Amino acid sequence: MLKVEEYKHQAATCVRCSYCKFPDLNYIKSSRFSRQCPIDTRYRFNLYSAHGLLHSALAELDGKLEFTPKLMDALWHCTLCGGCDIRCKRNLDVEVLQVIETLRCRCVEQGKGPMPEHKMLADNVKKSHNIYGADHKERLNWMPEDVKPAQKADILYFVGDPSSYRHPEIAQATARLLSQAGVPFMVLADEWSSGHELFATGQLELAREMADHNIKAIKDSGAKKVITSDAECYKTLKADYPKILEKSTEDMPYSVLHITEYVDQLMKDGKLKFRRRVPMKVTYHDPCNLGRLAEPWYHWEPKYEPPNIAVGKTWRRGYNGVYEPPRNILKGIRGIELIEMQRVWDNAWCCGYGGGVGTAFPDFALWTAGERAEEARTTGAEAIVSCCPNCKDILGQAAEAKKTGMKVYDITEIMLRAIR
Amino acid sequence: MSIPREAYQTLQSIVGTEWVSDDPAICEADRYCSLSSPSEEKRRPGCSIEPVSTEEVQAIVKVANRYKLPFVVTSTYYSAGTYCRKDDSILIDLKRMNKLEIDEENLYAIVEPGVVFSALQADLFKRGLCTFVPGCGGHASVVANTVNMGDAPLGWRYGLGYQRLLGVEWVLPDGEMLKMGSLSMSKDYFWGEGPGPDLRGLLRGCAGHQSRMGIITKIGVKVFPFVSEELEPEGWAFRSFIKLPPNRFKWYNIRFYSREDAINAMFELGRCEIALVVMTVPPIFRGVARTRGVGCGGFWEFWKDAGPKLNPKQMDLRVLLYGIGSDKRLEYEEKVLLDIVKEYGGSPREAPCRDETNFMAADAICANVVGGRFSSEVSYESINQAVRYSKVVDKITDEHRPPILQEYNSTDWVCPYELGYIAKMECLRMASVEDNYALQEWKNDCQDACAKGGAYALVPDNKVFGPIWGNYPEKEDKIRAAFDPNHVSAPG
Repeated sequence: MLKVEEYKHQAATCVRCSYCKFPDLNYIKSSRFSRQCPIDTRYRFNLYSAHGLLHSALAELDGKLEFTPKLMDALWHCTLCGGCDIRCKRNLDVEVLQVIETLRCRCVEQGKGPMPEHKMLADNVKKSHNIYGADHKERLNWMPEDVKPAQKADILYFVGDPSSYRHPEIAQATARLLSQAGVPFMVLADEWSSGHELFATGQLELAREMADHNIKAIKDSGAKKVITSDAECYKTLKADYPKILEKSTEDMPYSVLHITEYVDQLMKDGKLKFRRRVPMKVTYHDPCNLGRLAEPWYHWEPKYEPPNIAVGKTWRRGYNGVYEPPRNILKGIRGIELIEMQRVWDNAWCCGYGGGVGTAFPDFALWTAGERAEEARTTGAEAIVSCCPNCKDILGQAAEAKKTGMKVYDITEIMLRAIR
Repeated sequence: MSIPREAYQTLQSIVGTEWVSDDPAICEADRYCSLSSPSEEKRRPGCSIEPVSTEEVQAIVKVANRYKLPFVVTSTYYSAGTYCRKDDSILIDLKRMNKLEIDEENLYAIVEPGVVFSALQADLFKRGLCTFVPGCGGHASVVANTVNMGDAPLGWRYGLGYQRLLGVEWVLPDGEMLKMGSLSMSKDYFWGEGPGPDLRGLLRGCAGHQSRMGIITKIGVKVFPFVSEELEPEGWAFRSFIKLPPNRFKWYNIRFYSREDAINAMFELGRCEIALVVMTVPPIFRGVARTRGVGCGGFWEFWKDAGPKLNPKQMDLRVLLYGIGSDKRLEYEEKVLLDIVKEYGGSPREAPCRDETNFMAADAICANVVGGRFSSEVSYESINQAVRYSKVVDKITDEHRPPILQEYNSTDWVCPYELGYIAKMECLRMASVEDNYALQEWKNDCQDACAKGGAYALVPDNKVFGPIWGNYPEKEDKIRAAFDPNHVSAPG
């Protein structure tokens, strides 16, 4: 959460040009898929955009605006996908996403937010350390019998709530993949929710509790590297934990890798080869939390020199995300034909699930995913591949609802088919 | 004060309850748009409404007239200057009106106000056609920009944008419909002129009416044949560009060692009828382009060192050669260009065969990175007048420095059109966010000088230009009163 002075400075620096609503203009390939912001595209009113929300942030701070029903609606419908943020930062120095996140925090502080469904998540986490309220003892039930995790290893697999409870096939594929690649790995005996949705919905106290617990557990495990198969966990461990601790990613007691980064490196080192053919035309969906939002966090105490120089600040402009490793892997599997969608890499259209939207506004999440499914269909691919359980979930629903005939896979499932 | 309940309910019945709102947050977010004068008060609209068709727009305007409610129109919020100056205004946002049709055979497109240039361009490229993206940005509305001046760097060859305006569908301030050009006779947008006087001038007057003369809901806009090769984007993030076919395009950056030589070369290029783009490159913008993606700090780190080393006498031209129709044409253009450059003692350097900011992604907004805010003073006149005015502006700027930032050289951008017949001179000056008002004062002084010098300013200030130009605002008011008897179309 930004401190008030910095929050005001960032919101006031917006020039209200509305570039935040579009992908990189050079990458617009058709009028049909020429927008970037899901809330802007669906709800149209200017309030439903970074442009509108940044101005609202200033007005709320100055006491000219309260958290009206529509402001709440726009603010909590935002998927926090960060498309606006990096588009703006292509040209300017504005922390667009951090202003929106801080506006959410102010809404929570004033007792107006988050949405009831988000409060339920928090209740579940308090009760059973996962967002679903499932039995904490069953967290490792996904572990296949043919995989024996190590008691002690350099690698720790952080599974996350979605793959532990809702999409065990992703956790299983990841564990089998590591096992078959001969990589010893541990899992935490007492992993708690990463707190991703708590961070996103401004419930920072509880999020901090999750961070403290998991960081200690990781530290105690002695692991040198933490691997995740979940883009949301990846971003949370890499950026949100240091952010709430007012540290930089490099100062954390662990380093985190997405499974695609790890496998890509194994392939480059000649330690892993995909021997089996997987004949399939696929298109790849960049999860926001693995792409433009996945950069390391750099702690910075605001200090400016005229005219607007942020002294010593390393800006996160979205170009150090994990874009290439998943593509390298797909291209490295015999039989896979990768056909790109129109909006890719930092321009990717959000799946719609993020920012707590999948929890509180499932219809809108499905609409947003439907837009992506339509875009995927135009490629002629038979399947969408992604790297995040919630992307898989919502895109799967959308592909079916839109009758695309396309299947949706997590990349771990594809890798497992290629290695077996 | 608020919109009368009965009026609001009528608006709801026109567009549906989802698409009109008087929620303070919705209205507050519609208070501002970009590039508006900081000193002018902007009112929060009484309600915001999002029609999806011309019929809905007409019905809304009729409600505004019935209840004497002011209305203001916008679509992309970018660069429009369309904000409410009166309380209880209806903000009509045309973003949902985004239909786009292309008539490949007859070389025109029909667009609604929600269509932006980059989107139109993308669809045109697939058909071997093109339009010209304005320098302000590819995310500007095609309708708003075209009925305005519609300038774009690619206008060197094909002229200013307003000349591409064809059939027009126009909801007048009283809600009546006026169809112009061939559209007035049949469902045909092909031709801009029709029976009787050509009324397109009423829409424009250089700066456009900025919703003071009703609402344009659809236009036909001329498009041009282009290369048949698909233009693919490459690179990414701040380094993205469109790859140009090297057998058809060639960029040159040319340094001249005096302004006179650069300007004379520009005239000569026009006389020889070559090139697709010709413009000066103010050094500071070369700096902005070179440091793109590193922000204000990165820019100044570079510029504090590079800026003072600049030779103030030299001037750089950027020229895009285009082999219209054939590779041989490109060879010919290159030979002619190099002859001209030699004659005027310039140093040509071939640049990579790609485009970052002209075909798809013009984004003048990046100039804000220098300090946080920029203001530009724009005029249209001959190339010679542009150069004269540039010197005047330089002098005025020095009087406003600080807080206007030190650029170490002229920032004036001379962008000629129609093979050098007319030139846009855009002076951009930067300051920090806090010094936005100082920029406005600088702009006021420039406008005053512009008027005295006889140049034709974009968005002329009536107070400054009116007395000099035959008190045209009084006549303008009479025309407006005839069209807008209830004085509801963006009054203020």
